[in-house]
Amino acid sequence: MLVEFQQALADLTASPELCVRVRRDPSILHRNYELTEREWRRLVGIVRHPGMACACMVYRANRLAPLALNIPQTCRALGEELRAVVSEYWETFPEGNVHFFIEADRFCRFLKVKLAAGCSLPAEVAPELERESAIVADALRESLTEATPYEAPSVNSARTG
Amino acid sequence: MLYNPATPDVIEHASDLVEYFAVMPDRLWFDFGPQTATGRRFHRTLGAMDQVRRLAKGRILAGHGLGLSLPSAMPLDEAFVGAIATVAADLGGFHWFSEHLSLFITPKGSVPNAQAGLGLPVVYDEEAFAIITSKLRRLRQALGCRLLLENGSFFTPVPDMDMSEPAFLNRLYAEGYCGTLLDLHNLYVTGRNGGMTPEAYLGELDPDAVEEIHLAGGDEFAGFYMDSHSGPTPPEVWRYAFDYVPRFRRLRAITFEFQESYYERLGPTPLVAELTRMHELAACCHIVPDPSDAG
Repeated sequence: MLVEFQQALADLTASPELCVRVRRDPSILHRNYELTEREWRRLVGIVRHPGMACACMVYRANRLAPLALNIPQTCRALGEELRAVVSEYWETFPEGNVHFFIEADRFCRFLKVKLAAGCSLPAEVAPELERESAIVADALRESLTEATPYEAPSVNSARTG
Repeated sequence: MLYNPATPDVIEHASDLVEYFAVMPDRLWFDFGPQTATGRRFHRTLGAMDQVRRLAKGRILAGHGLGLSLPSAMPLDEAFVGAIATVAADLGGFHWFSEHLSLFITPKGSVPNAQAGLGLPVVYDEEAFAIITSKLRRLRQALGCRLLLENGSFFTPVPDMDMSEPAFLNRLYAEGYCGTLLDLHNLYVTGRNGGMTPEAYLGELDPDAVEEIHLAGGDEFAGFYMDSHSGPTPPEVWRYAFDYVPRFRRLRAITFEFQESYYERLGPTPLVAELTRMHELAACCHIVPDPSDAG
């Protein structure tokens, strides 16, 4: 089914780990998705192509963009922890939001919950998050008004073509 | 040029060189999604719309969409189509509207605007043709203007397809659904990353289908070549342009795309040079007016 093929392709692109598992055992695709043999062969061919690593990388870059643009100091403060934290965030919220302020606001809330639960992160994260999440929340509220003097919503360049 | 927040500055430096202006409706609103608590999904950015209106004065204006994901095996996002039509009307109408021949929206997402994260390749077969053409019919009805579809840049070719991408675009054109927006840089990116070569692609594409071309620059990252819109058009892409574009008798526009985040580093000088060269390219074209041009 085309719906299943497209979803499988999106899921693979979003998950380098799933790509690795499928390369090792392509029958995973049959177990997780309702695919014709031809669709299955196509997906196996795609996932084995060297360009799949690049597609996964661009996916992560595009999902990182709203965070890097709107909460740059929080990202910087996370340092080496950033990779693990955003991976967990993307696993929890596999669908990105086109509205960059909503996406950034959602990540801020996610990170606040982690901090409140006692997650060990660099000391600079909490104050930067407090400061930048307030800015994002203001921008999000303002984006509801239509009266912003000038604000063109950002889009990911790698997506535009 | 394709509108972005840095475009006004470029136009200030080269007003006479910019005759055509494309705007992405997705950049003129904030999309709160269909399940928004406020009950209203699209909130326009009136300041940006005023700016577009000013810049478009005396220029041809077209729409260039990103969010419809026509190849997705799911119903057309009617609210999104309505929002595009509203923006177009607010700006005095689009001469034409283009979208991408890429999969941006996941069909099993929880909401219609759930994003795949990047443009994914399309399987070119009868099923995809039926899905896309039914949506093009509806879009044409809603917008009332000529439609174009743009080739994407892909890192992973789809094996064993019924049709190649240029054959698919040729058929869409031959059967009257839409013309082609040929992104020459996307062709270059796909070719550099192991896909169909630009020469093979351009050899197969019907030159009469091409109504707009995109030029852009990219860069290398981790062993791959990226469509990052980070700078001037590479020499190889200019070579394709001068070799093939004069054959496109129905060309309406040549568009340069750049990402505004690179503008501070680039400045206007290289972009003005690009615009100047685009005019040299346009001077090589011999356009045959299309009687059905009114859309």
